[in-house]
Amino acid sequence: MLDAATSIPMEGITAISGPSGGGKTTLLRVLAGLETAAQARVSIGNAIWQNADTLLPVEARHIGFVFQDPYLFPHLSAGENIAYGARRRGIRQFDGVIEALDLGGLLNRSVDGLSGGEAQRVALGRALASDPKVLFLDEPLASLDPARKAELLPYIARAVIEARVPAIYVSHSTDEVTSLADRVLGLAGGALTGWRRPPMRLTAHVIACDDKTMRVRIAGAPESGEGDLTLPLAARVGERVGLGLPQESVLLSATRPEASNALAILPGALRHEAGRPRLSVWGQDLRLPQGDWHGVGSRLWLSVLRVLLRPEGIDSQR
Amino acid sequence: MTVWPAIWLTLQLALITTVLLMIIALPLGWWLARTTNPVRPVVEAITALPLVLPPTVLGFYLLILMSPDTPLGGLWVRVTGDTLAFSFAGLVVASLIYSLPFAVQPVQSAFMAVPRMSIETARTLGATPRDAFFSVALPLAKRGVLTGAVLSFAHTIGEFGVVLMVGGNIPGRTRVISIEIFTAVERLDYATAHALSLGLLCFSFVTLFLIYALGRRGAARLG
Repeated sequence: MLDAATSIPMEGITAISGPSGGGKTTLLRVLAGLETAAQARVSIGNAIWQNADTLLPVEARHIGFVFQDPYLFPHLSAGENIAYGARRRGIRQFDGVIEALDLGGLLNRSVDGLSGGEAQRVALGRALASDPKVLFLDEPLASLDPARKAELLPYIARAVIEARVPAIYVSHSTDEVTSLADRVLGLAGGALTGWRRPPMRLTAHVIACDDKTMRVRIAGAPESGEGDLTLPLAARVGERVGLGLPQESVLLSATRPEASNALAILPGALRHEAGRPRLSVWGQDLRLPQGDWHGVGSRLWLSVLRVLLRPEGIDSQR
Repeated sequence: MTVWPAIWLTLQLALITTVLLMIIALPLGWWLARTTNPVRPVVEAITALPLVLPPTVLGFYLLILMSPDTPLGGLWVRVTGDTLAFSFAGLVVASLIYSLPFAVQPVQSAFMAVPRMSIETARTLGATPRDAFFSVALPLAKRGVLTGAVLSFAHTIGEFGVVLMVGGNIPGRTRVISIEIFTAVERLDYATAHALSLGLLCFSFVTLFLIYALGRRGAARLG
């Protein structure tokens, strides 16, 4: 039994988060049309997918769906798998997807020769190649080990954002949500618990790369380098990246800390808007967790210990 | 050799039966593989009956069903002017029933091995259920379907009891190889009996060998 009613904006990445067994997978499957809940009403824009009189079957909804396991078709090569959905939508060219996911070298491989991470990448490419209206992802990283997870996460972000496909991402991992989501919907015990505070994320651009690291500059930061960070290489020069700030890896202080192991120490201005505390860092707005904040307009220092990177593609390509 | 009509008749019977059986077995096997309808075990039991019933039981009931007094037999006489029993068409009907489990069971098993998620995934990619069947399920069930076809063919070639009862041993019309062997032995023509029996033995062996060789190749590819 699911009790849910809301409206999800069709842009960017929306995460549905909550404890296991809370109904997230069921909700996703009902939205996609893989399961029929008799009382559900689903519509996208002006198109009605399901109401009391109509039920549009899943194959007519023009969606993409990435499951926890790749479920690649074993009788087709990786490349033929990717083309499967595209062919049925009349799409002949999907080079952008192949490039964004680095699938070029895998196209001729047979499915059983792929590693878990490669197979899931192919599955993502297959879903995106058909240019879906919405991409549903149901815990796509859950069956991968931490190294593969970290490897695949940036691919998901870049592919989805570059392709401008709105994504609905189910996960119970806070890191995945902080890394990827623009907004977060909570679901627990079969009922929606409402929109949560979106992850704190700063926009930055990659200004330099070498073979192991890259230097990113926070948008709006001065050229003197105060807003620069050095991170492990995960994006290309000129690419826009989102720096996700996990709540527990962020230190806010009234005085500027000295000699610390922080990745970066950023100046911020605290203000309140509609009763919610916000921190402005070089013009970028971060929603702070509810708490005892005093002194509107006071200067706070944000020390960042860990960053979850979200590559967003090069601006001219998007 | 006067046995060529029998050989030709047998091949015709087996080929027509196999083609018709696959047309029946594919949708039936697919349905049995995927349905949760409680009537499923009933259908499976009926399909499997020819495996356990003595051919004479089948033959007897078929004869009754085909007699001109019944709806089926009567309709046939009106449409073709000929009785269904003791005709080639009657043999085809009998073979369809008699070889049914040999077609349906391998096909059903093969379809049961096709992961449900593969079909679901195909549908999220824009395939209608029919499209998903032809583009995903059927290719993945290829070996089972082929096994069903080959087994039906071979089994129909070898049938004796039902064919004798329903066909009546009419030369050129319903005297197939197995019956030809029987009549050859009856008239002590062991040369003909030998030739035909050895032929059938070799044919059956080659058929089974092909099935097992196919199975081997599939397993080796996965390993």
